[in-house]
Order: sequence, then structure tokens, then C-alpha cells
Amino acid sequence: MTIQEKYKARVKELLSTGAVKMVIGYKPGSTAERRRPLFMRSPEEADQLVLDTACIANLAGYLVAEGLLSDDKRVGIFLKPDGIRSINILAAEAQLNIDQIVVLGFDIDGQEVNALEGESAGDFSALIESIKDHAPEAPRNPLIEQIEQMNPIQRFDFWQTEFSRCIKCYACRQACPMCYCRRCIVDSNQPQWINTSSHTLGNLEWNIIRAFHLSGRCVGCGNCDRACPVNIPLRLINARMGQEVLGAFDHFAGMSETQEPVLASFKKDDSETFIL
Amino acid sequence: MSESFEPKIIAFVCTYCTYTGADLAGTSRLKYAPNVRIIRLPCTGRISPMFILKALQQGADGILVSGCHPGDCHFTHGNYHARRRWMVFRTLLDFTGIPSERIKFSWISAAEGHKFAELINSVTDDIRKLGPFDQYKNLIRETEAPATL
Amino acid sequence: MAKIGVFICHCGENIASKVDCNKLATSIGEHPGVAVALDYKYFCSDPGQERLKKAIKENNLTGVVVAACSPMMHEATFRKACAEAGLNPYLCEIANIREQCSWVHTDYDMATQKAMEITRSMVEKVKRNNKLQPIEVPVTRRALVIGGGIAGIQAALDIANAGQQVVLVEREPSLGGHMAQLSETFPTLDCSQCIMTPRMVEASQHPNIRLLTYAEIESVDGYIGNFQVRIRMKARYVDMSTCTGCGDCITKCPTKKISSEFDCGMGKRTAIYTPFAQSVPNIPVIDKASCTYFKNGKCKVCMKSCELNSINFDMQDEFIDLDFGAIVVATGFQVQDNSVYGEYGYGKYKDVINGLQFERLASASGPTSGKILRPSDGKEPENIVFIQCAGSRDCSKGVRYCSKICCMYTAKHSMLYAHKVHGGIAQIFYMDIRAAGKGYDEFTRRAIEEDKAAYFRGRVSKVWQENGKLMVRGVDTLLGKPVVIAADMVVLATAMVPQPDAKDFAKTIGIGYDEYGFFNEAHLKLRPVESSTAGVFLAGACQSPKDIPDSVAQASASASKVLALFSKDKLEREPVVASNNETTCAGCWGCVLACPYNAIEKKDILDRSGKVIKRVASVNPGLCQGCGTCVTFCRSNSLDLAGFTEKQIFAEVMAL
Ligand SMILES: Cc1cc2nc3c(=O)[nH]c(=O)nc-3n(C[C@H](O)[C@H](O)[C@H](O)COP(=O)(O)OP(=O)(O)OC[C@H]3O[C@@H](n4cnc5c(N)ncnc54)[C@H](O)[C@@H]3O)c2cc1C
Ligand code: SF4
Ligand code: SF4
Ligand code: SF4
Ligand code: SF4
Repeated sequence: MTIQEKYKARVKELLSTGAVKMVIGYKPGSTAERRRPLFMRSPEEADQLVLDTACIANLAGYLVAEGLLSDDKRVGIFLKPDGIRSINILAAEAQLNIDQIVVLGFDIDGQEVNALEGESAGDFSALIESIKDHAPEAPRNPLIEQIEQMNPIQRFDFWQTEFSRCIKCYACRQACPMCYCRRCIVDSNQPQWINTSSHTLGNLEWNIIRAFHLSGRCVGCGNCDRACPVNIPLRLINARMGQEVLGAFDHFAGMSETQEPVLASFKKDDSETFIL
Repeated sequence: MSESFEPKIIAFVCTYCTYTGADLAGTSRLKYAPNVRIIRLPCTGRISPMFILKALQQGADGILVSGCHPGDCHFTHGNYHARRRWMVFRTLLDFTGIPSERIKFSWISAAEGHKFAELINSVTDDIRKLGPFDQYKNLIRETEAPATL
Repeated sequence: MAKIGVFICHCGENIASKVDCNKLATSIGEHPGVAVALDYKYFCSDPGQERLKKAIKENNLTGVVVAACSPMMHEATFRKACAEAGLNPYLCEIANIREQCSWVHTDYDMATQKAMEITRSMVEKVKRNNKLQPIEVPVTRRALVIGGGIAGIQAALDIANAGQQVVLVEREPSLGGHMAQLSETFPTLDCSQCIMTPRMVEASQHPNIRLLTYAEIESVDGYIGNFQVRIRMKARYVDMSTCTGCGDCITKCPTKKISSEFDCGMGKRTAIYTPFAQSVPNIPVIDKASCTYFKNGKCKVCMKSCELNSINFDMQDEFIDLDFGAIVVATGFQVQDNSVYGEYGYGKYKDVINGLQFERLASASGPTSGKILRPSDGKEPENIVFIQCAGSRDCSKGVRYCSKICCMYTAKHSMLYAHKVHGGIAQIFYMDIRAAGKGYDEFTRRAIEEDKAAYFRGRVSKVWQENGKLMVRGVDTLLGKPVVIAADMVVLATAMVPQPDAKDFAKTIGIGYDEYGFFNEAHLKLRPVESSTAGVFLAGACQSPKDIPDSVAQASASASKVLALFSKDKLEREPVVASNNETTCAGCWGCVLACPYNAIEKKDILDRSGKVIKRVASVNPGLCQGCGTCVTFCRSNSLDLAGFTEKQIFAEVMAL
């Protein structure tokens, strides 16, 4: 049985026994490479389920939709390890109750899709632990190295070229599971910290602050990057910040549902070599 | 870079340590460069990355953020929280091309009037050497819409 | 429309010599929103303040900036003047153009320019200032003292003697703490029991003190002036209201072989017991864990022996809920468990004991009635080796600090030994002799010169048994030679460590602690008796190792802080506190975690039917100290800090 069929059967079982009220998965999209979210409430709806190497989107953000989890009923969801890390973060930040989530875990390895062992978030802690342990050696995006090699003037120009295209559509925010704020900082206008019109200064400020808000929270799922209509390589910044919090504070986002947010905690011996 | 370039530097400091240290530099009649404008806050924990961005928008060529030494925070650990944020924010700015050399952080206690005066001089010198932050100023110029409240 | 008044002070020549005050007044006078700008020689003087008040009234000012010396100097003065002129004092801000401008710059034009910018920035801030009221919190005039050692007793007595109510909570069956265990005390060698017992009795009989022994703190809520505390009264199985403390039950109890905690294992006690003869209250408790009835369901000998029918095996733990205005924490210390010193044979050789056990041996009311007899065979030791710093100043054993009292009590022990056993030889290994204190150095000199204690400067590497002797191998670093001494007994000057449950206890109370578990003071130098939580004070060895005089001094200091707090009906605090926008808060609890004062609570927002629709952060203004750490954390910008609001700071920066 293919993994898709296996999971289809499991979804039907979960839905028909009433173990979950809904399962969030993937269905075909507008092109062969695209997948769309599928919200299954009945076993029949599971027939549309697709699980293949095109299922790269992180669906975790749908869990925090207003009201979905408020009735204490359980919801199933297809997640890759990055998605599992994001539900850990959402749980750690009190946005959802992890016990309500049934994880249908999978991973994409080249041309293969593999099932992951376990159904509750905690079952994957060893897996996430090993991802963390391997993070320092994991191949870095060559562009990050390239940017770091530049001098500040070149770096500034590089990012200006990128940010200048931003149209402030906030698709990145919409796509990000961690951007669940009821009111985003850009929409806070008393005072208006971030210039909202899409001129370059405002674009820079917006992108810096969003990256700051995701430091230590970004799981690298790439949702924002894919959502951006003008192809700003947002994941480079977020990945760079991920390296930073890992190196400086040994913090790897989404380890567990009890992980303390990196910017709401501290250690007395945190590094401070940069302080005069 | 013209000879007479005088950098504009904006400082964010906590009231209990660095602000009081700056007062001490005054009562001790130490002399230092007049380029820095201080914004007083209760604690380094109150200093938001947003302030730094706004200071840059106002044409600052350099920024200074300063508070109590670790262990001395009036609010016990506001400065520990601040230190983490700065660590992260600084890397972020550097990665986006806003050089760390322009954003300085320091611990200055209420007793360190001398350290304050020396720091202001050395930061001013450093920024003067770096020259005006033209790249950022160009952005500001492109921004027609003035910030409003 | 803002009508701001700007008052530029010359401070004699202090400002005027470097800043063109006149020009400053003219140009700031043209700044939008500025209704009046005046300069004057001394605004802090009476006529200066009168000018300011007059200008406020005449121009109906909505805000004031005084460009003068540092706010640390005269902010209070000018705010008061504003209030007297009918303007909310928090609508006044200071532009510091003296300490941070005229005094530190030499160039007249540049200084004037800087003064102008500082003042302008303040004008923009003050336009956005809000009228604030000092925060008033009512004060419950009752103090909770936790821990009935000498520190707790002293604090309770001081507060009670000043006419205030105190509840003194001790978790053991009796008051006394460690001091009750001591024999004689340095530096005067007076008998510890003799000075302690009257204090314990006084505390138990004081009309303003309610004594709760065998009791523990279950939970603490609230904040300064208004703590709600739940106290667990552990079941004693003896009715305190009828028991007269005759002790018949104790004599009859067949379970007699229990190692006595009070005697540090050097003596025995029964299952129903009082820790020591002079216990206060003198009412026994049944130790459930060793009582034959509780273990086997048969016995009740004590119950039969009690003529007053005071024994009740069905007793349960009870809870008492009380409100308090202030808390004094005086939970003391423990001695380190010396089994970490395998090389010294503690726990292996009976005659290797610790300092506290030696106190019990030397105590007239102790297991040997004050005779120094070695535990193994009850013989008088002909020589004793004392090892100082057995635990202290030894990173490898986890204690980096100096326990402060061991040099002194070791000297004391050598003297007591010399006085009690004629011809006895006391040999002491030490690292340094730290005898700083009134009469302390004289005391150690006496031990050396009169009582002939032999001091070796060096550490001991090993203790082992050979031919019925304890062989002590150390080094005399002053002679540069190894030393081996055959001893009859070895006494370890054990480190003072925090109570084993200190960290959990600190979390219950909501105070900070250091890496070891000693409680943190708000400021090591300037606020050594306050904890970081307003309204909670520290006394005695729970904060750091201390001797009796220091413990008592800190206890009295804590009491005076409590009394100062109780001298008012209401507390007034600066209104610099955070508040939250409940509409935009996402309930991520980052602020809850970041707040150094646990001032942020989780609040349920209910719909009309009482169902929780969301949970948001809510700042308790009684606990908030106004650091603003939470405000900076909040991604959605939901929090703000009065006096330093987002709008104010934004405007300040944008004016530069
Ligand atoms: C061997 C030795 C010899 C010493 N000799 C001298 C000397 O000669 N002269 C001198 O000045 N000092 C001497 N000291 C130091 C002296 O013992 C201390 O300074 C003193 O006992 C400190 O008093 P305290 O009240 O702070 O603590 P403690 O005496 O430890 O009292 C604390 C009390 O709090 C109670 N408690 C703890 N936790 C709780 C809780 N959670 N709830 C309720 N109650 C609780 C404990 O049961 C105890 O009764 C000696 C110490 C030692 C170890
Ligand atoms: S960018 Fe920041 S404030 Fe906006 S939604 Fe994302 S986390 Fe929230
Ligand atoms: S998705 Fe791209 S264009 Fe849209 S706001 Fe984000 S960065 Fe800007
Ligand atoms: S940090 Fe902000 S959003 Fe999060 S709980 Fe606190 S107030 Fe609410
Ligand atoms: S301002 Fe500081 S003390 Fe007040 S609630 Fe926020 S973090 Fe806590």
C-alpha cells in the first residue's frame, strides 16, 4: 500500500470513529506541482486526499483559525517535522492545546514520502532532537554565506533590491503559522512604528521587524517565502536568525510544547561579547 | 566625506544606571563630545528595537544603548532580557546591511561617570570615522510620507 | 490643543554660561504647541516656582517642561509646584540641560543647539503625557513571619512590640531553630539555651503574636499590603487546646529508638515527642512515620496514658487562610551533608562528626549532658582534630562561598573542649582564619593563646582508621610539610547551606534565589533586607550564611521595614505601571514569563453566558514595578507603560 493509501485509510478511520472532527490534509492544486489544503469532515471527503512530494506547505497555521479548537474536540493534521515543530511553538505560546491534535506525520526525502512514527506531538521529540543535533552541520543555504561575505554596503544594497519590490500585501504574515497575532505590529497605529506605505524605508522596517518577531520561532517551513508574490527570499533572513539563536542560546524552535520562548527568557551567563 | 562631518548619535539609556552615570559625568564636570542625544527609559528592558529603527529614520549615524551591568538591574533582570534581544537584533541588522559598528551597546553603572564620558567620545570618534550613514539617509529621502502619530 | 509652558533655568551661571538661555526661550517659543517659554535665573527658588505657577494659571497650560538640572535633582520639586498650580504633576517633564549639557560641553553654540534639541524632544513627549494618579493600595496591618529561629523570633517580637499583629509560622513542632541546638555561643561563651528560651517564651505569650508551629506555607497570592496566604497546620495528633504538656505519653511510648533530629542523631527520641525539653510550645506531636499504631494498627499506649484525652489519631491537616500586609522570610539554613566528603570518613567512622553534632555533645541538655564523649565507645577523647572549611570554599563539593561562622565556632569548640577535658589537645586545620566581627579576633586569639589550640594552615586530604585511632593526613603549608595526626575524634566544620526545599519555597512566595538557594536581596548593598518582591523581607541565614548577631540585626531591620509599611493606611506608588490592551492581546504569555515580578496574570474573558471566549494578559498594578520589559516583548504592541508610553517615546525620538 502506498503511503497515501495507508494514510487515507487512517483518516477514514479517525473520522468514522469520531476520534477527530476534522482532518487537515492536501488535495490537488491548480498545477501538477501545487497542492491545496483539504479540510475533511467525513470519511468520503478523504477520497480527495493527496500525499506526495508536492505536499510541502506547512498546514499548522490552519489550526489556530478562530474557533476551530474551541470545542475541545480533536483535529487531525498532516505535518512534516517543521509543521510538528510549529505546533509545539503554538502550544508553548498557548495558542492551542496540543492534546487536541492528532499528527499524521510524514517526511519528504528526495522523491520519496515516508510516514513518521507516532500520532501525538510528543512522539516526535526524539526526531526533533536529532534534527536539532544535526542543525549545525546541515548544509547552509549558499546564499546566506554569500551575503555574509559581502561588506555591509553590498549587503544593504542586496536587501534593498529585494525589499524594494515588497508591496506590503502581508501574504508572508498570512502564510506564517507563527503570525497569529490578533493585531500585527504594522497595524498598530498609536503610534505607527512601521511606515505602512510600500516605500523602501517602510518595507525595510516591516521585513526587519517580522524577522525579529520570528527569531527563535521560525521553523523554516518556507511558507512565507513561497507566499511572497514578488519572490523576496524571506527564508534567508529567518534561517540566519535561526542559526543565531541556536549558536548563542542553544535554542532550536519548536522542541517541545513546554519550550520557553527564547526572547521571553534568559540565562545569566548569556553571551555579551558585543557589549562595551 | 567632508572634514567637518559631525555624526548624529541617539542614545537609549536606563534611568537607574547609565542616566545617573551620565549625570555623574556632569557633576564631575567631565567634558565629552556634544553629539549624543539621550532618551531616558526606566529600564533597558523597556528599550525596543523599534526605537532603534526610528532613530535611524531620524537620520542617526550611530545609536547607543546602555544600561546597568548584569546583576545590577534595578528591576533585577530587565537587562538580561534586553541583552538577549540586542544580541538577536544586532545580528539581524548586520545581516540586512545595517552595520554593527553603528549600533553600540554598553553597560554603564551609576558610578561610571568617567566610563560614560570616555564612551561618548570613543563612540563619536568611531562613528565620525565611519562617516554619515548615507545608505539609510537615501532611503529616508525616498520616503515622502512623513511619519505621523 | 496642547498649551505647553517651557521654563528654562539659568541655574545662576551653571547653565547660562554654556547655553544661550534667551535664544533657547525664543526659539522653543515658536515650536508648535508651546504657549509660553520663559527663562529665569533660578526656577527652583521660591520666586522661580511662583513664576512657574503663575504662568500655568495665566496660560491654562496643559503641560510643562522645565529645562534645568537633572530630573534626579528637582523633578519632585517642579511636579509639586505644578500640582499646587492645579496641573496634574505627571504633566511635567524635565529637560536635563545642566548635568547632560552645560556641564559637559565647552562649545557655546553646540551646547545651545543640544539644549534646544533636548528641550524640543521633551516638549513633544509632554504633549502626549497623560494625567496620572499615584497608585494607592490599602495595607493589611498584619505581618507573617516564616521561620521560628532566632531571626524569625526577633522580627516577630519587634513588630509585635510596636503594636502590630504578627503570625509566626514554624514548621517544626517547636520554635528555636538552630540556636536552640547550640551549646555556648561565640564570642562571649554564654549558654545558648539561657538566652534563647526567654525569647521563645516571650514570643509564644505575646498578645500580638499568634504562634503556629508544625505549620507550613501552602500558597501565597497578592502583593505588597495585600497578601493572601494559606497555611497548612500539619496534624499533630495531640489536641493543643487541652494538652498541658505533662509528658506522660512520652514516657510511656514504647517506640523509643528513633534517632533524634534535634540531637543530630547523637540521641534518641520516642514516636510521640517534643524535640527538646524546653520546647515552645511544650506540646508533643506524633511522628506518623515511626509511630507503631500508624505502622501496625496496634498500640495507642500514649492515648491510654493521657488523662486529658488529648490524643486523637484521626486528626487531619487543616488549612488557615489569612491576609497579610507584609512577609518576613526567616527560614534559616541547614548544615551540608558531610557524606560528600568520603575521604574524611563521615558516615563511615562514628567518631567523625560535624560541628552541629559537637554542639549537641557540648550542650548541657544534650545526649551526654555536656560531656565530650566520643560516639563510638563513650570515652573522653584525648585529642580532637577539627577540619575547617569542610565544604565551604570548595568548588568540587559545590560550595564556593565562605560559610562565615565556621572559623568562629571551631575556635569555640576548641575552647569548650579545653575547658571540659583537661589536657585535651585540639588541633585545627584551616585555610584562613576569618574572624572579622566585634570581639571575634580576640576570641580566636584566646583559643590559641590561652586554650592552646594548635592551628595548622592547610587542607586535610584523608582520614582513615588505624589501631583504634583516626589517622588524619594533612599538610602544614606554613612549614611546607605533610602532617599525620592520630586522633580520637574528628570534627568537620560543615558548610552552611540553604534549606533543601529553599528553591521551591522561594517559588511559592515569589522571591528570587541564587545558584545555591539562598534568597536574593533586592540590592546587595543598598537594599539588603528587602527581597525583590515588594512587601517581602528577609532575615537571618536564609539569605546568606550568618551568625546570631547578624541574623538578629537583619531581623530587626526587616521589622522596621514592616513597621514603616504599616505606618500608613494606604501605600502610594509612582504610577509608572504597565497595562494591556485586551482586544489585541493574543494570549501568548510571553509577557507573563518575562516579567521579573510575576505581575502579569492570565485573565479569562467571558461571554454573557459565562463561557470563556479568550484568555488575555492582565497586569496587576500592585505588583508591577514599571520596568517595561513586557512592553518590549509584546509583538502585537498590546502592552504599554504609563509615563513612558509608546507614543511618548515615539514622539521624543521623532523630535530629534
Ligand atoms: C555548628 C554551629 C555553631 C554555631 N555557633 C554559633 C555561635 O556560637 N554564635 C553565633 O552567633 N552563631 C552560631 N552559629 C550560627 C547560628 O546558628 C545562626 O546564625 C542562626 O541559627 C541563624 O538563625 P536563623 O533564624 O536565621 O535560622 P535557623 O536557626 O536555621 O532557623 C530557621 C527556622 O525556620 C524554620 N523553617 C525553615 N523552613 C521553614 C518553612 N518553609 N516554613 C516554616 N518554618 C521553616 C526552621 O525549622 C527553623 O526553626 C552556629 C551555627 C552552627 C551550624
Ligand atoms: S509580524 Fe509580528 S506582530 Fe505581525 S503577525 Fe507576525 S508575529 Fe505578529
Ligand atoms: S509577502 Fe512579500 S511582498 Fe508581501 S508583505 Fe511579505 S515580503 Fe512584502
Ligand atoms: S506578550 Fe502581548 S500578546 Fe502576548 S500575552 Fe502579553 S500582552 Fe498578550
Ligand atoms: S512593566 Fe515590568 S514589572 Fe510591570 S508588568 Fe511589565 S514586565 Fe512586569
